[in-house]
Amino acid sequence: MAKQITFEFEDKEYILEFTRKSVETMEKQGFVANEIAEKPMSTLPALFAGAFIAHHPYTKKETIDKIFDKLTNKQELIGKLAEMYNEPIMALIDEPSEDEGNVNWGASW
Amino acid sequence: MGSELVNSAPLHTYTYAEQFNSQFPFYLSIGMTYDQFWNDDCELVVYYRKANELRNTQKNQELWLQGMYIYEALCCVSPVLHAFAKDGTKPLPYPDKPYAISEKEIKERKETIEKENRKKAMAVFMAWSSQLNVPSNTEREEVNADVHHD
Repeated sequence: MAKQITFEFEDKEYILEFTRKSVETMEKQGFVANEIAEKPMSTLPALFAGAFIAHHPYTKKETIDKIFDKLTNKQELIGKLAEMYNEPIMALIDEPSEDEGNVNWGASW
Repeated sequence: MGSELVNSAPLHTYTYAEQFNSQFPFYLSIGMTYDQFWNDDCELVVYYRKANELRNTQKNQELWLQGMYIYEALCCVSPVLHAFAKDGTKPLPYPDKPYAISEKEIKERKETIEKENRKKAMAVFMAWSSQLNVPSNTEREEVNADVHHD
């Protein structure tokens, strides 16, 4: 099951999700995931808006901006959105089968 | 050697869409539809890959089984294929039933064989016992009565 974010805004239920088509559409519109760190002010709202394409493609930009402004805990939201954005590509990558030669890794944070 | 990581030539980066497009034909070949790949749950591909693996394993199993049947058939006709076979040599009969594959079938087959063996043993025993001159029950009772009178 794909990762989704759900919330209610002005009596309407919203489901945010990324499909391969919505990621492709975003890239066609000029979205570059690598720019999140360099241009967060324009990239993050675009990432948020892109999550509407799958289930609510006709939502107005003003409504999306309004929702973005009102959403709490943005730091966590952005992390979740980035994870969701990567999901369509990550699902295409095969996990190596259990093998003695596999490399295990750890992170310091 | 080993200087690749410090090479100043810019890396060619692929967009996500390019990756999707390159992998799309494979998923079409294993039965995914256009809509499922592009618009449905993006995790679906994982299950299609697993299903494809299962299908390949099953196909491999079927081909192996077919090979076994061909091998068996060759073994059965091999006596007549012999260049110096005696006149009147007949091929061995081909197995009258396919191989038992499921556990239920194996169990049933085993039970049938055991039942047939029991029947054979019973028949052998009956044939052996009929050859013996064992007195019948009435004769035996008469003998017993004579013994008591004495």
